[in-house]
Amino acid sequence: MTAAVSGARGALLPLAAALALPLVLVSLPLLHLAPNRLVTGAPIAAATVLGFRLWPLLALAAIGPALVVSGRGRAGTWLGLFACTGGLALLLTGLGAGAAEHLAGQPPAARARLAAGAWLAGLGLCAGILWGMRASRLPAAGWLSALAILALIAGLGAAGALDALSFTVEFRARRDGLARAVLEHLALSGGALVLAGLVTAALGTWRRGRGAVDLLVGGVQVVPAVALLGGLVAAASAGLALVPSLRAYGISALGAGPALVGIAGYLLLPLWRGLQGALRAPDPAALDAARALGLTPRQILTTLRLPLGAGLLIGGLRVAAVQALGLATLAPLVGAGGLGRLVFDGMAQFAPDLILLGALPVIALSLAAESALGTVEAAARRRWPS
Amino acid sequence: MRAPLAPLLLGLALSVASHPAVAGRLAGGAGSRPLPLDRLAELAANHLALAGLGFLIVAGLGLALGIVATRPGFATLRGGIDALAAFAQSLPPVVVVALALPVLGFGGPPTLLALLAYGLMPTLRGTVGALDSVSPEARAAAEAIGLTRRQILTGVELPLAAPGLIETLRTALILSISVAAVGALAGASTLGTPIVAGLQNQNFAGLLQGTAATAALAFLGDAVLLAVGGFWRRD
Repeated sequence: MTAAVSGARGALLPLAAALALPLVLVSLPLLHLAPNRLVTGAPIAAATVLGFRLWPLLALAAIGPALVVSGRGRAGTWLGLFACTGGLALLLTGLGAGAAEHLAGQPPAARARLAAGAWLAGLGLCAGILWGMRASRLPAAGWLSALAILALIAGLGAAGALDALSFTVEFRARRDGLARAVLEHLALSGGALVLAGLVTAALGTWRRGRGAVDLLVGGVQVVPAVALLGGLVAAASAGLALVPSLRAYGISALGAGPALVGIAGYLLLPLWRGLQGALRAPDPAALDAARALGLTPRQILTTLRLPLGAGLLIGGLRVAAVQALGLATLAPLVGAGGLGRLVFDGMAQFAPDLILLGALPVIALSLAAESALGTVEAAARRRWPS
Repeated sequence: MRAPLAPLLLGLALSVASHPAVAGRLAGGAGSRPLPLDRLAELAANHLALAGLGFLIVAGLGLALGIVATRPGFATLRGGIDALAAFAQSLPPVVVVALALPVLGFGGPPTLLALLAYGLMPTLRGTVGALDSVSPEARAAAEAIGLTRRQILTGVELPLAAPGLIETLRTALILSISVAAVGALAGASTLGTPIVAGLQNQNFAGLLQGTAATAALAFLGDAVLLAVGGFWRRD
């Protein structure tokens, strides 16, 4: 690449970063003012919502991302990081204050909902914070920026600056239910993960049946999740119709049981692949050497196969954990709880804030699981390079 | 690669199980109200149309972007593709369907968006992986005998990557059929509809029909792609 091209490209990225968020802020509506929580309402532009905060916010939203992506030394990156954080704080307080102003004098059912411009600008500033933390080489930049953004939102929320936004109203109304739903969601996906892990370990000891297990766990993946959950309920109800006395033991066709079994069914494939990969990780020469030294099969498993295959095993666990958290969202379909309950209620009522209240924690949990287990996987690969 | 016989037989058996007479007998009982055959056929046709359209979009975009990403000069995109794929997998289809509902309304559009969000990145990554598996020697030999870039792609790379590409298309097809069933939650009229309705009003015969027919579609589609793959490989 010639110096001229590299120079042009070097200037292009900061320029695009400087223009993107201000353009979003002036061209898209920031809020929707609706007479109740079920309709979308009328869009309100940034100038009306933010008032005197508009110009400082535009400046911060231009300077912050531009400084962060241009990579002009440590001081520039830190300055950009602070500009992005300040911009996010200003945007949030401005949205809260603007919403309160527009709701004054309206009937209590009226709602001020975040619109496309607010979401895009907020996400852009969050991305700027993440990029800045990465560029300044802080350890665990992803976690640190997530923590900083959450702390900012929680702080503003606790101070009451966001009270007028419809999402906060929905959150306040559902706070206890939300905490319970998160716990249920974690219990469902964790339980399914443990169940699938136990089944995979048991199948792993069955040497002869490896081909059959391959076909079985691959075949389960082909069945659509909605169909598998439905099929489990149909099978359970048919079983209960044949043997009604099972009901006395607390077995029912609907509830957490079919959800756990259904979710676990899909986790078999990643876990099984991870296990098989881990068992095959050491090369045959190393295995022969270990046998010649007189190591028992159990010693070979614990000292050779598992450490060398740890990366693959944890990789399978990572994929399975993310899938479990996602699939658990479908659990309310068969009468189990979890965050999907909020999503389904929101869809039934056509209430976007309620859907978001269920969906955002699912996404956050999935990303956290992906990131945490990805870190462990990388550490295992570094500790036992294969 | 597996033979298409097992999924074909499984698919046929499941389609038989979804017939009103069979499903009514299997899920017997007082509350059993199997769907008539013409209603089931209509739902299956809708399901196929929605999943087929989604499959065409996802497979076409995924293959095209995968081919672009493996061209020399775009190597820097790889890290971004992997990170984006990991993020896209963290978005369950039901969440995308739910989030798109207020914006796109009921029915097909949110379902297609969910399919695009969930299916594009695995297809793209699979295409990149399949094309990466082509040995550099084969590429160098093709260059040495004077083939143009386009000829190398269509005459050397794509045929050599065919097994991996078929695997990728199988994944895309299964995801399409699966997400079309989830679309029933957003009011799309697919084979997921009797499942959702059956769970709500305890109509286990209809539930069984929807379940069996959806799974049958998935297995039959899988068998078709496996057969295509076998046919392609024999040439």
